[in-house]
Amino acid sequence: MTTVNQTAPSPAADAPAEASVSAPADAQAVLAEISGMLRTMLDEYGLDDIEVTMETRFTEDLELESIDLVTLAGSLEARYGRQVNFAEFVADLELDEIIDLTVGQLVEYVVRCLRAARER
Amino acid sequence: MAMIDTEHATDHDGPHTGTDGVRLHVQRLSPPDGRPPIATVVLIHGLLTDSLASWYFTVAPDLAAAGLEVVMYDQRGHGRSERPGSGYRLDTFVTDLARLLDRLDITGPVHLVGNCFGGTVAFAYAMRHPERVAGIAVIEAKPATESWLTEISGILRRVEEELVVHEAESLAWVSAHRGAHTARLAKSAARLVRTTTIAEDVPASQVVSEEQVRAMRCPVLAVYGADSELAGQQRWLEAVLPGARTVVLPGQGHSVLAEAPTRIRELLLSWIDEREREHGRHAATGAPAAGAALEADA
Repeated sequence: MTTVNQTAPSPAADAPAEASVSAPADAQAVLAEISGMLRTMLDEYGLDDIEVTMETRFTEDLELESIDLVTLAGSLEARYGRQVNFAEFVADLELDEIIDLTVGQLVEYVVRCLRAARER
Repeated sequence: MAMIDTEHATDHDGPHTGTDGVRLHVQRLSPPDGRPPIATVVLIHGLLTDSLASWYFTVAPDLAAAGLEVVMYDQRGHGRSERPGSGYRLDTFVTDLARLLDRLDITGPVHLVGNCFGGTVAFAYAMRHPERVAGIAVIEAKPATESWLTEISGILRRVEEELVVHEAESLAWVSAHRGAHTARLAKSAARLVRTTTIAEDVPASQVVSEEQVRAMRCPVLAVYGADSELAGQQRWLEAVLPGARTVVLPGQGHSVLAEAPTRIRELLLSWIDEREREHGRHAATGAPAAGAALEADA
């Protein structure tokens, strides 16, 4: 069984002032969701005691390969529907940047998408 | 994640069906806002260290945004698809593609785009099912000629030696010199070679003669990196298929798809756009007839 420990994310320093109150709570919830998705995936690889934080890197720390990120994109769509478009997110990134992605970068993107969807 | 079981597919393959069905991982991207697609493009990845992720994280989202229905799949043994113990001759990969398109109810002519071994699959598919292909675009690839077989057999022998016999040392070297992600891919490749007959099967593939390639009527775009060992392939292809369009990208090597995705995207979009215009298919799909139909938003 994989243990996924969650560490409370620190609010982004450059977050807009009006968002700074709700951002950590949103991010916390999204981090918990993504950690759950990663736990399922890592279980399949038989990996134990992996700590997932905002700083965790998908490749370097979790030993995920690019195809696992595609699977993660599917899980994100299943959870959040079309509000979160992973393909759009990665379209703006170079392959190297995708490989170096941190969980936090993805969490922040999902939070931004959810906030935008609420404001529509 | 869609898993397509090719086992129960309609069988169009006649004498070629020496293969068992396998479960293949498929990802599709459609044009945004429910626009009807201009055409369908199927992206085919390479051998051993590759998966559909190489498309998903490079050109696939842009191709969908430009109005194409994009189909990507992990070939047998790769990515998230099933990894049967045997059945890895080129013909089997081609049969998988035919069955996959049947299962997805994609009946009209499609554009195939193949990277490296995926390009060899595209050539073989177009030769076996010419009526089902609108055109092929291959990146760093050649058809399954005798010289292809010699090269791929050599690569597989080297992989077996380095990744399977000396796995730990090789992976440590890859990790130190090529980074953690490449090492992770190499580890998957080692598992594929160790647990299946792929290293014996691919070299046992049936080859095609120069005459058979010459007889191809399907439009062909072939892209090579100028610094790649395959760059010389351009001249051969131009001689054998005078109608083919070849492009050599300066300063690029074998991994041109990963290194120059913007250039590859532009080449693919204008290639597919031209083929569709030739067949007057744009009007049928309701897409703008001129100019902006397949423009990439650069």
